[in-house]
Amino acid sequence: MCGIAGRILNAPGKVGHDLVELMDAQRHRGADSTGFAIYTVPRETGYTLRGMGFDKSSMDGDLASFTHVMRDHGSDFLSEPQITTDQNAHYCFRMEISDPTDLTAWVKDADTLTDRIEIQSCGRSLEIIKDIGSATDVADKHGVRDMIGTHGLGHARLATESSVLPNASHPFWARPFSDVAIVHNGQITDYFTWREKLERRGYRFLTGNDSELIAVWVSDQIKAGLSMSQALRKSITSIDGVFTYMIARPDGIGFAKDRFAMKPLVVIDKNGDLAVATEEQAVRRVFAGEEDVINHDGPSLMGIWGVGNRSLAA
Amino acid sequence: MSEVIIDVSQRHIREINQDMQAAAKAGDRMRVTNTLSRHNLGIGLPPGADLHFEGSVGYFCGGLNTGATINIERNAGWALGEGMSDGMITVGGYCGMSCGAAMMGGTIHIKGDAGPRVGAAMKGGNIVVEGKIGYQSGFMAHSGRIIALGGAGESCADALWEGEVWVAGPVESVGVDVNTVEPSAEEVAEVDAILAPLGLVDTSRDWRKMISGQRLWYFESRDANAWLMI
Repeated sequence: MCGIAGRILNAPGKVGHDLVELMDAQRHRGADSTGFAIYTVPRETGYTLRGMGFDKSSMDGDLASFTHVMRDHGSDFLSEPQITTDQNAHYCFRMEISDPTDLTAWVKDADTLTDRIEIQSCGRSLEIIKDIGSATDVADKHGVRDMIGTHGLGHARLATESSVLPNASHPFWARPFSDVAIVHNGQITDYFTWREKLERRGYRFLTGNDSELIAVWVSDQIKAGLSMSQALRKSITSIDGVFTYMIARPDGIGFAKDRFAMKPLVVIDKNGDLAVATEEQAVRRVFAGEEDVINHDGPSLMGIWGVGNRSLAA
Repeated sequence: MSEVIIDVSQRHIREINQDMQAAAKAGDRMRVTNTLSRHNLGIGLPPGADLHFEGSVGYFCGGLNTGATINIERNAGWALGEGMSDGMITVGGYCGMSCGAAMMGGTIHIKGDAGPRVGAAMKGGNIVVEGKIGYQSGFMAHSGRIIALGGAGESCADALWEGEVWVAGPVESVGVDVNTVEPSAEEVAEVDAILAPLGLVDTSRDWRKMISGQRLWYFESRDANAWLMI
């Protein structure tokens, strides 16, 4: 059991604050790790990176290797990297970098370092913050409540199929495509079959979390040229298991549900000012009072909510 | 009988449920306010308890009810009245997944639509839905009646064991091992007797009654495909 949430604002605002509220209301659904994908006001050039190194005692060496690979690809820091540490062995980073010559090629090379340090999001606007601990723990540590943006996702993890590790929490980035994130509630039962197939196509898996499969699978669909709605629809018959998942992009948030109608999704949509979550009590944290809710309870459902002018992000 | 207000807001659920038990013992009618769609409200209420929930409730509301009358103004979440043995629960709006799961007696009345797996594993009692019932309604129900006045979603009455699913209106598809039969006049009269106190009798209804095909009662290897479809 996990809890997922999404939030879309009509104009840039305190999306971080609202996502923390949505996840705090669902903390009982998964207490071991929490994560957020925040779409901040997009930058014109350059990327914001979020990521993690696994041993803070080797931080200097890891960052030197990381910087070396980045410079090899024609990119450099636009500001001093920000590092967050606590009593745990891992450390988290936020970096602003100039455009690499070829984003895909650079991510591929940077991913050779993932036994020590990994990029967890890369975007003009996307920032993924994830860690072990509750919604409020993660929010306090990383200043999520103060993050300004247009939309985003949240996730509370109850690990059922793999270990509790800081990098195994959601959201997952659909590497190497900038600004694409997913969160998932459920279990993927054909994980190993798919993983083997996708690894043969050259994709890397950085965790043992079955939900990471959805992000990698989505990357493969983007590469094949599918639109968000085509990928969502295809996933319902392609991926086996129990799932309600959401994909976020700069222009919208989409969701898909499995054929068995196992995991709920509840929405309050006030003309584009939208909150979506696993549980109704969570969306009521954002919209106090008895707003009308939409329950996406049926089997094999999908949909997309656009950001901004509400045109469908097909 | 006086009426007491029980405020939910952000109070601890155990405290709220203790207040409800105390009010029921004192014979007070209850009006429950600021429900905020929270879970586990009104669990294990005794016979004679009378509650009105303003707004919507979350999961498991009215679970293990042994005879209380519960009225919910708007929506209810998952597993409303799970395991109830007696009493009456009315929902003004939509009711989420597995409403009346494993219930043994009493009546649940939903004025809107109901989500997937209404009456999953129910062992008695009646569920009346004025709207449409969702996917896999009556999944593995052992006894009791599910009555839908506004049609049924996919896989209706899936793997029904011995209960009955009655549908007026369109059925998107029937589930595994289901026989759709023509009800007799006596059986329709029995269903109308359930609907009468709710003011829902309409003699022009074209009923479809779904019962178990009984193939899944025993495993036979030639039926393996039917089992795999579940």
